Amino acid sequence: MIRRIPWWAGGLLMALLLLFTFSVFGADRPIGASTYVPYFAGLLFNLDPEQYGYLKQIDGAGAWEGVMLLGALFGGFVTSVFITKSFRFSVIPTAWKKYKNGSVLSRLAWSFASGFFMIIGARLAGGCTSGHFLSGMSQTAVSAMIFGGVVMATLLITGRLFYKKEAQDV
Amino acid sequence: MFERIMGMFDTVANEGHGSIALVFVIGILFGGIIQYSRVDKFEKIAGFAMLRDTVVPKMLFLAVGVASIGLYFMIEAGWAHYHIKPILLGGLIIGGVIFGVSMAIFGKCPGTGPVSIAEGRIDVLVGAIGGLLGGLVFTLFYEPVFKTIMGPDLGKSVLTGGAGDYGSVTILVFGIALVAVSMLIPLRQEFDEADLNRLG
Repeated sequence: MIRRIPWWAGGLLMALLLLFTFSVFGADRPIGASTYVPYFAGLLFNLDPEQYGYLKQIDGAGAWEGVMLLGALFGGFVTSVFITKSFRFSVIPTAWKKYKNGSVLSRLAWSFASGFFMIIGARLAGGCTSGHFLSGMSQTAVSAMIFGGVVMATLLITGRLFYKKEAQDV
Repeated sequence: MFERIMGMFDTVANEGHGSIALVFVIGILFGGIIQYSRVDKFEKIAGFAMLRDTVVPKMLFLAVGVASIGLYFMIEAGWAHYHIKPILLGGLIIGGVIFGVSMAIFGKCPGTGPVSIAEGRIDVLVGAIGGLLGGLVFTLFYEPVFKTIMGPDLGKSVLTGGAGDYGSVTILVFGIALVAVSMLIPLRQEFDEADLNRLG
């Protein structure tokens, strides 16, 4: 079995999935991914939706994305075990070792902090890579274009400033 | 908590955006496509931030270009509807900056993160715990702090909004341009251990 598909096959399949999800035969809504995080935080910390207006606001979208996320975990696990065969426990990505450092503590601390801020950023913007880039841009939404431009610019600037220019031996 | 989780399934069942099974299958396909094309890898996302890997932008631009054309005709046929997010300028710009910086360092986004956890990435699991706390902080301080930062709702505009009868032409030009961009971006790939083992 082929262990990976090229970018164009991935792009076409993602477009088809997006169109199916949008269609009245599918879910009649866009694909999104970041709303499930505050939704799950609400479940986990047992916050009362009556008390927190935000939870009330995201109740429908959070639940939908929550179920989709469970599917994504399952789909990712099955594909990594049986198709891409890339399942293995690991802590530091290869490129992090190459362009940043080999410290477990450093990677975990940066992961934790960037994971924390990523969700705050996504929720401030009202969407993430899935909601704005994939779903929003496909609808030519102006909100998605603004988010897309800002994210692309800061992503590339951060990439340039945060990582070393030259690769270290892994 | 068990009741709340059951409540999640009830909400989806009653919401009319597909059955629980259908939404779960959409998730499986979403995770499967991401894993199979490997765009959940740190090497692909942080690699793009360093301009050492272009698989993510190539795939993204192609998917959006094709979907935008397809979606337009599906809407014309009555098979789909637009679901536009409003323009909240403060939220989009400040949130976008925070999101872009985090995405470059984390090498994941909220959609690809879980798929990475599913292939055994411990660092991403730690990042997801950080994300849950971020979601908690956002929920707790939404009313006094974050809502103010996000700013007023400037409406739900689309690119074709002012194009009138030229909507279909605008969409075709937009879609074809994105597909062309996806093909014109030179292909660069950053490999990880799994690839090196395979090459060796």
